Amino acid sequence: MAAPKLLNEIRKRGPSFAFLALMAGFAVACATGGASRPSQEVRPLRISEVAGEGDPTRRASTRLVINGLKSSPPEQGLFDYERAIQIDATNPYAYLALAAYEIQWGDLEQGVQSLEQSELLLESEGLKSPRVEPHLIGLRGRAMLRSYDDVERSVGESWLDEARRMAPEVWGDGWLGVAELR
Amino acid sequence: MTVKGEGLAKARTRKTSTRRNTASSKKKSTRRRRSSRKGLPQWLRFLVLGLALVAFGGGFVAASYVVRLDRVVVAKFAGKPFRVPSRVFSAPTIVYPGLDQQLVDLRGTLERLGYRESSDTKNLAPGRFVWSSGRVRVHLRAFEHPTRREPARDVVFRLRGNIIEEIREFPGGREVGAVQIEPEQIGAYYGPNREQRDLVTLDDVPDHLIDAILAVEDQRFQSHPGIDMRRIGGAMLANLRAGRVAQGGSTLTQQLVKNFFLTPERTMKRKVQEAVMALLVEVRYDKAAILTAYLNEIYFGQRGSTAIHGVGEATRLYFGKKPRELQVEESALLAAIIQSPNGLSPHRGSERALKRRNLVLELMHEQGRIDAATLERGRAIGLQLASVSPDPGDARYFLDLLRRQLAEGYDSEVLTTEGLRIYSTLDRRLQRIAANALRGGIEHLEKRYPKLKRDDPTKAVQGCLVAMRPQTGELLALVGGRSYGVSQFDRCTQARRPTGSVFKPFVYIAALEQVRGRPAITLADFLDDSPLEISTSQGAWRPENYDHKFNGRVHVREAIERSLNVATARLANDIGIARVADVARRLGIQGKLPLVPSLSLGTADVPPIEIARAYATIASGGVRPETQTIEDLVDASGQTLERRRLHFERVLDPGTAFLATSLLQGVVDRGTAKGVRATGLKGPIAAKTGTTDSERDLWFVGFTPELVAVVWIGFDEPESVGVPSSVGALPIWRKFIKEATGGRIRGAFMRPKDVESVEIEPATGARALPGCPTHRPEYFLTGTAPEQTCPDRTERRRRNREDTERGFMKWLRRNF
Repeated sequence: MAAPKLLNEIRKRGPSFAFLALMAGFAVACATGGASRPSQEVRPLRISEVAGEGDPTRRASTRLVINGLKSSPPEQGLFDYERAIQIDATNPYAYLALAAYEIQWGDLEQGVQSLEQSELLLESEGLKSPRVEPHLIGLRGRAMLRSYDDVERSVGESWLDEARRMAPEVWGDGWLGVAELR
Repeated sequence: MTVKGEGLAKARTRKTSTRRNTASSKKKSTRRRRSSRKGLPQWLRFLVLGLALVAFGGGFVAASYVVRLDRVVVAKFAGKPFRVPSRVFSAPTIVYPGLDQQLVDLRGTLERLGYRESSDTKNLAPGRFVWSSGRVRVHLRAFEHPTRREPARDVVFRLRGNIIEEIREFPGGREVGAVQIEPEQIGAYYGPNREQRDLVTLDDVPDHLIDAILAVEDQRFQSHPGIDMRRIGGAMLANLRAGRVAQGGSTLTQQLVKNFFLTPERTMKRKVQEAVMALLVEVRYDKAAILTAYLNEIYFGQRGSTAIHGVGEATRLYFGKKPRELQVEESALLAAIIQSPNGLSPHRGSERALKRRNLVLELMHEQGRIDAATLERGRAIGLQLASVSPDPGDARYFLDLLRRQLAEGYDSEVLTTEGLRIYSTLDRRLQRIAANALRGGIEHLEKRYPKLKRDDPTKAVQGCLVAMRPQTGELLALVGGRSYGVSQFDRCTQARRPTGSVFKPFVYIAALEQVRGRPAITLADFLDDSPLEISTSQGAWRPENYDHKFNGRVHVREAIERSLNVATARLANDIGIARVADVARRLGIQGKLPLVPSLSLGTADVPPIEIARAYATIASGGVRPETQTIEDLVDASGQTLERRRLHFERVLDPGTAFLATSLLQGVVDRGTAKGVRATGLKGPIAAKTGTTDSERDLWFVGFTPELVAVVWIGFDEPESVGVPSSVGALPIWRKFIKEATGGRIRGAFMRPKDVESVEIEPATGARALPGCPTHRPEYFLTGTAPEQTCPDRTERRRRNREDTERGFMKWLRRNF
C-alpha cells in the first residue's frame, strides 16, 4: 500500500488502525528474520586523501602518518605514527595506522585499543564515513581471527567477510597492506 | 751435501768444541776462586756478599714493583677504562608549516643544541643557521635516533609573523612536511667523580685534531718509548733558565698515565712511577690504543660541577658539534686548552685562548702538519663558540624519577659507567614553562600573603606541577618543588596528600555510569544539599560545605561547579563508596583508598602524578594511558635495550567520560575554576579545584583535549596556606597552560555517538518541548533523557495511550 493511501486509511479508521498496521509491519519484519541489509560496496579510504584536511597541526601529523606508511621496512613506520601522535594526539588516522601496524605484528590487544581510539576520534570529529568502515571492521576481524577462542574466531571471520564485501579490492585477500591504507 | 746438511754438520762441530772449552774454563775458574779466597780479607768478602744480597733484594723489590704496576696498567686497559655516564635526552622537536615558531622556541632550541648563527649564506655548514626577517635557514645536523638515522638537512623556514608558512629544502626548494630537530640532552647520570665524556674512536676524529694535539703536547709521540729524554732535557733547561717550573716534559703517554692512575701531586716518587708506567703502557699497547685512550681521557675543564673529559664531549661543549665536523682552527683551540683547561677556557677569556690557539697553529705549520695557507686562514678566524646550555636544573626532578624507575632494571653502576642513551618523553619547552610558572606563582603568593613567607627555605611553601599528554600518558613536564637545590623531594611523585575536591569527579562518574542499563543520575537531576549525618565506626560524620551553608535542592551541575561537599557526600553514600573507589582505581589511582564515607570528599592521600593520570583518562574519553617517561633506551653501541610502546586501556565508556568532561567544563565556565578564563584563555578546558581542610593542600587539575596538568601547593609539614585553591593553585595552572598553548587551545572534547543533546527545563530537569518557557541543552547517554516534559505532557500522553487501547479493544470486539 502506498504511503498516502495508508495515511488516508489511518485518518478514516482512527488510531486503532495505525496500531494494527504497525503490528503487521512488525510481524513481517519478524518473519523475514530481520535480515541485515546487504552491505554497500564502498571505495575504502586512503589516508593520503585526507592529508590536506584539518588545521596545520593535523595536516602535519597526517603527513607523518603517510610517511610512516611509506616506510620500508614497515616497522620503521612506527616511529612516524608515534611522532604523528606526539604533535596531534587527537588524530584518528594516526591511531588507525598504529592499529593496523599492531594487529599486523600480533599485538592484538593493543591494536584493538588503538582501533577503538581511532573510531572514537573519528566519531567525535564527524569523520566516521562509510569509506573508513571497511578498515575498522576488517582490522577488528583480523585481530579476532588470531584469538584462541573458537567463537571469537568465527565472529572475526564474519567481520572480515563484511569488510571483504564492502571493499573487495582492498580487503579481498583479508589483509590491509600499508600501501592500501596510504 | 745440501745447504741444510752443511749447516747441521757445522753446528755439531761447534757443540763438541764448546763442550771441550767449558771443561777447561771450569778448571780455570775453580783455580781462580781458590786463589781469590786466599787473597781477599774476610770483611771484604762479607761486604761483597752483602752488596750482592742488597742488589739482589733491590732488584727483587724493583721487579715486584714493576710487576705490580704492570698489573695495574693491564687491569685498567683490559677492563672498562672509562666511566661514561648515561645521558638523558628530551623528546625531539618537530617543526611543521602552520606552527608558531615560538611554540617550539625555535631559536632557543637551536642555540641550546649548539647551533651557531651565521651570516654566510653561501656555505652554511651543518649546525649553523641564518635568521633574517621572514626567513630562517637552518642546516640541521644529522643525528642518530634509536629508531632511525636522521640525515643532515639544509632547510628554509618561511615565516609570516611567527607562523612558519612553509619549509623547503635548500637548494632545490622541495617542500617538506615536517622536520625533526635532534633531542636536547637534559642531564646525565654521573658516577662519584661527575665526569662527563662522549667516547670516540680514531676514526671519529679528524687528522688535524690529532696533529694539533701532537704538535703542542708531544711531537715525537710516534717515536718515543713512553718517555721523551730530549723533551725532558729541554724542559729542565727551560725551567733552570726561568728559575721555576715553566715547561713540562711529559709525553702523551705520561699524561695519560697521570690521569688514569696517579694523583696530581708533584713528587719525585710520583714522577718515577709515572715514567715506569708510561714505559709499561708503551710495551703493552700500540700507539693507536694509547692515543685513543688519551683522546677520551684528557681533561677539558669544568662545566658547573661536571668535569669534561675527552675530545668528544669537549667538541660538543665548545662547538656544539661532533669531532668529525671540526675545522682546523677549532682543533687547534682544543689542543691549546689542554695545558690549562680552566685557565685557558675560551668561555672565560678569549684573548689568552686565542693567543695559544694561534701558537698551536704555528707549531703545526713549523712541524709541517699544515701548510702556510691553512695557517693564515686559521689565524684570521676569531673564536666561534657554541652557546653553552645552562645546567638543566629544571629537569632534575624528572631525572630523579627516571633514575628511580630505571633502578628497577639497571644497576646504578651500569647507569653511571656504561654510557646508555635514554630518550625521554620530556618536552623541554613545557618543562621550562612549568618551572617558571610554579616558582613565579609561589613567589607571587608569598608577596601577596607575607605571612606565608618563611626564613628557612626548607620550611617554605612548596608546590609541584606535572603535565601529561592524556592520550598517550607521556610525561611532558615535571617540577617536583620550587627549588631542587633546597629540596630534592619530589612532591609530584613522592608526596601523598589528601586530594580534597579534585576527587569529587570520581563520585559523579560512578553515579553517571550505567549499571544494569541505568545510571544513578543524569545531568538533569537534582541532588540534596541539606544537612547530612552518616554513622561510621568512629562516630557520626557530618560533612559541611566550604562556606558552612546548606543549599537544599541543587542541580547536579551546580553541585560540582560550586564543589558542594554535602550533596556530593550524599550522592556517594547513595551509590555506595565502594563504587566510587572502584572508579578511582580504574581511572588510575593506585594507592590505598579507605572505604569510608569521607573518601568522596578526597580524604585519601594520593600523589599528584596519579591524579594527573586519572584525569588524563577522563580527557581521553575513558581510555587510561600508562604513564610514559622513556621512549627508547639504547646502550653505548646503539643497541636498543628498551623500546616504549604506547599502551592504553579502556576503563570507562566514552559516553560517561564525556559527561564528566562536560561537568568539569562547567566548573571552568561558571564554577570555582572560572578564574581560568580571567586572562582571556579561550577554548575547551575542563578543570576542578581542590582545597583540603584548613586550606592545607591546594590542588588544581585541568585539561584541554591535548594536555592535562596538575598543580599542588602546600607546606611539606602540613599547615594552613590560608587561601583557597582558586587563589593559590589556579593562577599557576593558568599561566602554564596559557604559555604552553600560546593561548590557543586546539581540538575539542570527544563526544561519542551514544551521547545525545536534549533541551531541558533547568528548573525541573524536564525535557523541554516547544512552549516551555526556559530551556537549555543538556547531554545524556542515549535513552536516559528525562521522560517528564515541559509543558507536562506526560498526563496527556497517558490519557491518549489509554484511549488508543480502549479504541483498539472496541474495534476488536466489533470486528471479530
